[in-house]
Amino acid sequence: MKEPVIELKDVTVSYLHNKRGIYSVKDFILKGGLFSPFEHKTVLHNINLSIFKGESVGVMGRNGEGKSTLLRTIAGIIVPDKGTCRVSIEISPLLALGAGIELELTGIENIKIFMALSGNYQKATINSLIEKVAAFSELSLEQLKMPAKMYSTGMLSRLAFSSVTVVQPELLLIDEVLSVGDQGFQAKCRHRINEIQKAGATVLFVSHSPEQVMEICERGICLENGTVYCDGTSEEAATAYSKLFN
Amino acid sequence: MKTKNTYLLYFLVYKNLQLKYKHSLLGFVWSFLHPLLYLLIFNFVFSKAFSNIENYPLFVLSGLIFWIYFSASANQLCQTFIRNSHLIKSLNVKKMFYALSEQGAELFNFLIGLLAFAILMFFLGMKITWNLFYIFPIIILFTFFTFCFGVILGSLNVFFRDIGILWNTLNPALFYLTPIAYSIEIVPKKFMFFFKLNPLYHFYYIMRNVLYQGQPPEIRYTLYCLAICAITFVLALFIYRKTRNGFISNL
Repeated sequence: MKEPVIELKDVTVSYLHNKRGIYSVKDFILKGGLFSPFEHKTVLHNINLSIFKGESVGVMGRNGEGKSTLLRTIAGIIVPDKGTCRVSIEISPLLALGAGIELELTGIENIKIFMALSGNYQKATINSLIEKVAAFSELSLEQLKMPAKMYSTGMLSRLAFSSVTVVQPELLLIDEVLSVGDQGFQAKCRHRINEIQKAGATVLFVSHSPEQVMEICERGICLENGTVYCDGTSEEAATAYSKLFN
Repeated sequence: MKTKNTYLLYFLVYKNLQLKYKHSLLGFVWSFLHPLLYLLIFNFVFSKAFSNIENYPLFVLSGLIFWIYFSASANQLCQTFIRNSHLIKSLNVKKMFYALSEQGAELFNFLIGLLAFAILMFFLGMKITWNLFYIFPIIILFTFFTFCFGVILGSLNVFFRDIGILWNTLNPALFYLTPIAYSIEIVPKKFMFFFKLNPLYHFYYIMRNVLYQGQPPEIRYTLYCLAICAITFVLALFIYRKTRNGFISNL
């Protein structure tokens, strides 16, 4: 049997939740914060999940059921309270698109900073990377030299998606991003994801659209109440997901 | 890995500097104008009152530049985790980098300013001796202290958002409790103990030894400063370690 590249064992994740709404020192004193103002609000309960190399997994679930939390745990941004999360491949940093775009800076500066943040910055290759981003995002060099605040929403998401996917990742994490851009660009994004898959990457794809999940992924997971409610083919998961609303 | 982190830090510092000055007409000139303006004000207001201080302008200027460095760094670090919340939530980058880059940008700013003010201080009558080079280890110590202090503020500010407001309120008080515009000699003996509780007091002592008196820093006060750095470091490490995993739920 193949060794899984992502392995979650009994993973429980909780957020520190402020039960009395203490968000300042003033509240802390007035509301008696000394007596444990924080409680843990569990978002994921005992998740067991193995994902193998090259798999594409669609993650579905209602709002607030821990889809993003699951992705953040796998990305190593959240440390689980209990259980272990083992990831043996390199992760692309995409979670929410557009994070980290600094509106005051130009497109090119943003690309450079993003490459540095994702650990892909190399002096020798940066210019060719910028050219690739420019080509894929269909932004002209002139536009890339403008501050990002002058971009339209669509242009921003083009820039973000292109920066994230310009380097072939081993594990691509996508959090509800395919609803951005115009139809042409959406198709282009799907095409690029397919390319990344074909090159052997593992893909985790969070979406609210069963059609997209069925199109992109073979496997599907549906989360409900912080547990894995359904784990099967993407068709099964999509059906389970649609049932949640009936 | 090492070069990756260097690039990361470099670009984050670059970003902070760009954001600070990109759209201001005067750019870096602001970092000279700020102390200069205060120098003029203090010189005008206090030089008669503190006429016993020899070469008052040099005395004030040497104190002011360090104060502005300290307070600007603390202000930036206080907000650093909140300002970078979107990045903290979506990238697995050590959160300390955001704080480090903030300090790096301020240090860069400070050193540029120091270069310009060194010339001014020369005209104000600073003694040119080899002893002046002692200022560099002092800057390193002071930066270390400022950074640890700022990380404490920044970490707590994530959980209690009025820490930032509290700091803004205490900031001017600390300014007047530190012998920047006046000499410590005017403080009555019985209050001296309280003045010495202020960590900045000790840094100011050795810093003035060098810049104002042109002497090497006094050993006893240097040791105090080392001890202050060690204590602040342990405190910052403890608070940061304790709070960092909770950042994400509170940002």
